[in-house]
Amino acid sequence: MPVLSSIGSQLVNLCSALLLLTCFAIVAQRRLSACVDLFALQSAFLVLTATLVAYLTGNQHIYIAAALTGVIKVIIIPRVLKKIIDRLNVKRELVMYVNVPAGLLICGGLVMLAFFIAQPIIPLGSLLTRDSLAIALAIVLIGLFTMIARQKAVTQLVGFLVMENGLFLGATAATHGMPLIVELGVFFDVLIAALIAGIYTNRLQDAFDSVNTDRLTILKE
Amino acid sequence: MTITVVVLLVAPLLAGWLSLVVRRSALLHAINLASMGTIVTAEIAITRTVLRDGSFTTLDQLVYLDALSTFILFIIGVVGSACSFYMRSYMDEQVARGAIAPSRLNLFFFLFHMFLLAMVVATVANSVGVQWVAIEATTLATTFLIAFWRRRESLEAGWKYLILCSVGISLALFGVVLLYYSSLHVLSDASQGLNVTQLLPVADRLNPHVLKLAFIFILVGYGTKVGLVPMHTWLPDAYMEAPAPVVAMLAGVLEVVAAYAILRVRMIVDHAVPFAFAGGLLALLGFASFVTAAFFLLIQHNYKRLFAYSSIEHMGIAMIGFGVGGPLGTFGGLFHLLNHALAKSMAFFAAGNIHRRFHTVEIGDVQGVAMAQPWTATALMISGLALSALPPFAAFASEVQILTALASQGVPGIEFTGTEGMVTVTLSDQFGRVALASVFLVSAVLSFGGLLYRMTGMVWGTPPEGIVRGEVWTLGHLPIILLAGALVGFSLFLPQPIQQLLERAAAILVIQ
Amino acid sequence: MLESVTLIVAQTTVLLAVSPFLVGLIRKVKARLQLRRGASVLQPYADLVKLFQKQPVISTTTSWIFTATPYIVFASTLTAGLLVPTFTSQTPMNFAGNIIALVYLLALGTFFLILAGLDAGSAFGGMGGSREAIVASLTEPAMILSIFAIALTAGSTNLSTVVHKTAVLEGIMTDPSPHLMALAALFIVALAETGRVPVDNPATHLELTMIHEAMVLEYSGRYLALLEWAAGLKLAVFLSLIANVFAPWGIATTMTPAAMAIGLLVYLAKIAALAVAIGVIECMFAKLRLFRVTDLLGVAFILALLGLLFFYILRS
Repeated sequence: MPVLSSIGSQLVNLCSALLLLTCFAIVAQRRLSACVDLFALQSAFLVLTATLVAYLTGNQHIYIAAALTGVIKVIIIPRVLKKIIDRLNVKRELVMYVNVPAGLLICGGLVMLAFFIAQPIIPLGSLLTRDSLAIALAIVLIGLFTMIARQKAVTQLVGFLVMENGLFLGATAATHGMPLIVELGVFFDVLIAALIAGIYTNRLQDAFDSVNTDRLTILKE
Repeated sequence: MTITVVVLLVAPLLAGWLSLVVRRSALLHAINLASMGTIVTAEIAITRTVLRDGSFTTLDQLVYLDALSTFILFIIGVVGSACSFYMRSYMDEQVARGAIAPSRLNLFFFLFHMFLLAMVVATVANSVGVQWVAIEATTLATTFLIAFWRRRESLEAGWKYLILCSVGISLALFGVVLLYYSSLHVLSDASQGLNVTQLLPVADRLNPHVLKLAFIFILVGYGTKVGLVPMHTWLPDAYMEAPAPVVAMLAGVLEVVAAYAILRVRMIVDHAVPFAFAGGLLALLGFASFVTAAFFLLIQHNYKRLFAYSSIEHMGIAMIGFGVGGPLGTFGGLFHLLNHALAKSMAFFAAGNIHRRFHTVEIGDVQGVAMAQPWTATALMISGLALSALPPFAAFASEVQILTALASQGVPGIEFTGTEGMVTVTLSDQFGRVALASVFLVSAVLSFGGLLYRMTGMVWGTPPEGIVRGEVWTLGHLPIILLAGALVGFSLFLPQPIQQLLERAAAILVIQ
Repeated sequence: MLESVTLIVAQTTVLLAVSPFLVGLIRKVKARLQLRRGASVLQPYADLVKLFQKQPVISTTTSWIFTATPYIVFASTLTAGLLVPTFTSQTPMNFAGNIIALVYLLALGTFFLILAGLDAGSAFGGMGGSREAIVASLTEPAMILSIFAIALTAGSTNLSTVVHKTAVLEGIMTDPSPHLMALAALFIVALAETGRVPVDNPATHLELTMIHEAMVLEYSGRYLALLEWAAGLKLAVFLSLIANVFAPWGIATTMTPAAMAIGLLVYLAKIAALAVAIGVIECMFAKLRLFRVTDLLGVAFILALLGLLFFYILRS
């Protein structure tokens, strides 16, 4: 059993690291549709992690959460986003507030920050999930950074969804899943939020002829 | 009691569903008022039970009601009913004017009921996780209410609100995850690990470091919804663009519910972490909001944004009260939440009336409201005086309570435990108390001047050419009169049940 | 002593023999994926033979650097190859240097190639040289960091030791995350350094895009043969590095003939698989604009940095 759990722990860590890697790929990616694909890939890794945790801990309800992630984040939301992108006349992010190499460096710094914050509480966790909490925090921070650094409404939405992925990773890997009712509620909220944001991008496109959020400057002091 | 709670939850749900089906606007309003009436009745029953028997849980531990949550329910009931009456005249006029298609009323009422439901759930939920889900649901329900006019400005405000609040609330979810993480090591039954009733008895055994981290995330997250500086940037835009009844709900209730969510977590955190930690952080954000808002009140030339910054200011004051703590500070903070909810919803009713008559939000273009709309002018003056915390209004009493607590106790020291040792900033000595009290007073005077100066300019004088004079009595004036009565009345005489509720709620928050 | 000399001869032979094959294999994979039959896998050998027989033409404006460069590039790349374990974990020139020597031997070749590109005085040579300088300056830190991330887990900068310890799973940290990140970084570096698709296109002579080809445009005859062979060698060195540092299993850890034979077979299989992967990547992706190359190499650098970071975090 110790051997199994050590291998399992490494696998969970590996999957979390893969999630983090896709985060970096999203930060470095300019094409909107590729960003959405990468988000779907990240969610797929998340499903893998959750399934692993469910198998290793024997918590049945994590399987439900993993299945829901698969349906909502790997299939439904990417499809909706692709539809939106098809409707828009912009395919890529031309101007960013932070250029890609600088953005990557900042994200590297964010990872360090996340580990620095999470370091004191890591020893509390079970062996299975040593680093997942820190990686989850790093993913949340990188998602936040993506929302700040990008101008297009769609990529901001992707940043938000990346944040949610990080949160779900934290909830699954560090705490072996939150109570089921909470997880179901969170899924529902995320789905609705993504749909609402999708409706917004359409309306913004109609009203401003652009999904560049730097056009949103009518309201100020 | 189970049935009452079920009624409380089902009423807005049913009303929301009916709102999608019904076609006639009169019926929509009737459903709304009936649902509000049911909610208020249920709340009265719950209040009686809580005052008599103390706190209770029901529905398989999902619902937890104590004096604090009952107090928040009370605010939801009062402001919600006032809004429902006001909406009767407001929405009808908008439909008659052609500003909205009658069919969109369905959407409006549906979202309004869902908003109400989410707030009630957030208040009665036992689990911190369910509470999070409900608060995120309020964001989703209100974003289209804010962008209801579908102008470019409203879309901008709605988008900003959605993105900022969703991000903030995601951070809060991380805090909830951390809270759960800490409870796993203490509680045997993990599926109840987020329930307040389970966490409170074992709170002193939870890991303090995790709790500190969790509280910071939750404070930043829900603080965004409360509109605390520096997470406040969505608030003036949203308050400016949303329809008046929606703003009244946002300012009067949503902020209170978000503040309540922070207080709930703080109750748990305070058991394991020195009181100074959470209190210090709350007071810090409170002061930042108070001072910043006071400054923006001075330079504001748009009356809706003026009220928005006044909201930030008053939430800041309440947070200072909670941060200072002690029986006096906590009582003052809770009482201030109530007073602000009443005064601010009234102020936005008045602002909505003025906007409909003058068709501008510029303070400079509005003159002579007293001649054009005498009822509204009275409401504006009363809410303005109350928001400036002048006697004899109740806000004066709560602000003085907070100031007294601040001057006598100071803000508890904030301790930063770094790797290099401990850095302690103490603001509870003589000098710190005097300095903080002075900052408080100066900010209060600044906001008083800024608010009242603009209001008097709007009320007196002669209205511009082409503005109809005189005001027809509508149902929308009823809540204004009732709220005004409550504002004046509470300062002179606080009804016994409310007094008891406040005292018990404050007692819950104060750790002996 | 004899053993050491034998090993040097053996590894030199293997590297020299295998490098044209890798180039041919990548071309073949690309051709088949594009539904062409493509030239034989052995075509690069024939090319080399033919080039060696041709009379070189040298511009009259060039200096000695131009003629010396092919020899320097070939020699430095081959020496670098002797620092990398191929079929045995024992490297022939173990006494002479470690990872850092490897990196700078490769850099020496690049430096002379750039000089030679400038030397001929043609516009293309200078353009190719300046582009190569950009790429090289960006890949170098990423490469060093990624190898350091691995070196740290084994506690040595000696490639032989690193590979040996990983192969017998002894005395190393076995957490996969830093390895994975360093691997991704080193793979990107390898693509950039060997002039492969997202960075450079070896199959084009279009002046807007070429980097490596622009520098060697003036060469002909045996000089060109040497440079082409050196390019193949560089590819073989990088593929051996990736294969053996990240998945050394199967490599000969003892000096018995049987282990060596198995090691050789496994080695050939591994680098062939990597060559096929490169061929697939070349078909799937388009070449990046030169200004976007910095983004890609930035990713490599960050990945390597993260690998290092993870090592320290996991250990504490």
